[in-house]
Amino acid sequence: MIQLCGCSGCHISLLDLHEKLLEVLPNLEIVYGPIVADPKEIPEGIDVFLVEGGIRNEHDEHLIHEIREKSKIVIAWGTCAAYGGIPGLGNLYKKEELLNYVYSTDSTENKGEIPSEEIPPLEEYVKPIKDFIKVDYTIPGCPPTPKMIADAIIALLNGEEPKLPTKIVCDECSRKKENVFPETFKRTYEGKPDPERCLFEQGYTCLGFATRAGCGAKCPSAGVPCRGCFGKTDRSLDLGANAANVLANAGEASLKIPDKVALLNRFTLPDALINRKAK
Amino acid sequence: MGKIVIEPLSRLEGHGKVTITLDEDGKPKDVKLHITALRGFEQFVIGRPAEEVPRIVPRICGICQTAHHLASVKAIDSAWGVEIPEVAKKLRELMLVGNMIHSHALHFYFLAAPDFVLGVDADPAIRNVVGVIDKAPEVAKQAIALRKFGQSIVEAVGGKAIHPVTGIPGGQSKPLTEEERDALLKEVDQMIEYGKNGVELIKQINEKFMDQIKTLGVIDTYYLGLVKDGKHNFYDDTLRFLSPDGKEKVEFKPEEYLDYIGEYVVPYNYVKHPYYKKVGYPEGVYRVGPLAMLNVCDEMETPLAEEYRKEFLEIFGFPANQSLAYHHARLIELLSACERAKTLLEDNSITSDDIKTDVEPKAGNGVGVVYAPRGVLIHNYETDDNGIVIKANMIVATTHNVPTMEKAIQQAAQEIFK
Repeated sequence: MIQLCGCSGCHISLLDLHEKLLEVLPNLEIVYGPIVADPKEIPEGIDVFLVEGGIRNEHDEHLIHEIREKSKIVIAWGTCAAYGGIPGLGNLYKKEELLNYVYSTDSTENKGEIPSEEIPPLEEYVKPIKDFIKVDYTIPGCPPTPKMIADAIIALLNGEEPKLPTKIVCDECSRKKENVFPETFKRTYEGKPDPERCLFEQGYTCLGFATRAGCGAKCPSAGVPCRGCFGKTDRSLDLGANAANVLANAGEASLKIPDKVALLNRFTLPDALINRKAK
Repeated sequence: MGKIVIEPLSRLEGHGKVTITLDEDGKPKDVKLHITALRGFEQFVIGRPAEEVPRIVPRICGICQTAHHLASVKAIDSAWGVEIPEVAKKLRELMLVGNMIHSHALHFYFLAAPDFVLGVDADPAIRNVVGVIDKAPEVAKQAIALRKFGQSIVEAVGGKAIHPVTGIPGGQSKPLTEEERDALLKEVDQMIEYGKNGVELIKQINEKFMDQIKTLGVIDTYYLGLVKDGKHNFYDDTLRFLSPDGKEKVEFKPEEYLDYIGEYVVPYNYVKHPYYKKVGYPEGVYRVGPLAMLNVCDEMETPLAEEYRKEFLEIFGFPANQSLAYHHARLIELLSACERAKTLLEDNSITSDDIKTDVEPKAGNGVGVVYAPRGVLIHNYETDDNGIVIKANMIVATTHNVPTMEKAIQQAAQEIFK
């Protein structure tokens, strides 16, 4: 396993199996995995490679090809590998804009000098790994739940295909729906939502209706709207376009929602039909 | 002249490599630490509604996501001039110590301990957490229990164990239920016990490795930590610099950070090198994290940890300047976080639902600081009239430490190649 352009949250979610690790780990041989183990070279003949993170720089791109060549099964592990994830919001800016900004913040002494020695150059945009190689399976989520990861590993150990939920987050959400459509939309700091009723029907821009199930509707259960971190369902072509289509039913009200591009494509912009800012 | 490249650096969550340039005699001439990844969060939070940013920035780090979530929401409260309810503050602090328990347990037992339990000369193929489970199952069991407890706190308070979501401008989106509180309270004494065992374990390990601890990575630097009324604090509220000789302490509030901390762009690193502005770069480079926190504070805020802090300073001196003493300091903090969790869970008001106050977005500039598991964490945003982020600056815990990590590796390389 490896982390490319990610945060290591997928690795940590695997460790969140806690005492079940004692059952799962002895069945596996970790031959490569810089976050938890020391081998420096990717060995040949790997059975299953879990790839966390998308492709942001030339080193990531080099590694993903090497990983494909040396592995029988490659898994896009988590939303960054599968769809680009949060770092994909960087695609709203050109590479030069991003570098110029980061090296000119208020605390920077020598503003505008950009590092370039002994570090891999950035690619123009963040991309999911399937833009570079054939991916055998996907385990979505930011991060995927420990159970989803364990189920996939157990399926592979049994020679079966890992399966993904086919429903949407709303199907897992215990909030009551009255099949009403909001007339106006609220931002999350506004008011105190009714803890029992559907957040979307109360006017919060919850994206559960466009998002693959699997998380157990954790965010709406904690009083905040779903932001789509498990990505689209099998029946949908594009999470953002799908969600926009539903929100458009509110007419004028939907136009007032701020920052629609990064809301509707929060975790999936690099994999969207329109995957960067059009100038 | 030759060159040694160590890549990837393993058993850490980021991306790094070390290059060592050797002179004709094979002695290290130049040692550099390169952080080889950049994602650009400071740029791509621009244009986002501020209340969404605490849901974006946890992805800076999947291990200390809670600290990013909280520094971010604190910065927005501050930009919009919001005073949140006391209970919301306590919940946020509880969430943070939960993250601290998980991360400190992970950092020591899962990432560092393989070197000590299996030995630094052990086969790299087995020198990992699976090896620890094999060789020291009781230690592994306690490590797993501590991590599980920490993650359970974050899940109960923050909604998700990884990348929590409940911090919103004005307070918290979800109260802690009595059932959740009772379940955690039932475990907490056991965790304090495990925390004590951790400190006793590192003391035994240190005895075996004292030669290395007292020679490798020993450097004099400034230290930066977080204190409240002079005491060690995970959540609030005053930043304090300590001079390398331990004589001078300089305190400032988070909103004054730009007067005290600068960042220097170096050509070989995506991460900038922070430094203490009053001293200048590079003389003013400093360390953060457990070692710095124990040096900087006057005392720990919890009693058992305070006893161990005194003992720590007796062993390592003041200020402790041995990089390998970080582990010992980290385990004292792990115990302190367990003790603090107990105090917060026993507070009757913790299950109150008075957790959110009304807020109005406005143009403003706010700084949010917490102590993340690897050190002081700073988020700073400016918003427009509609509460949209128009400017951002973040100085992440490990960023502060990058120049001093390089310095420590340089010293260790010179010592080893002597």
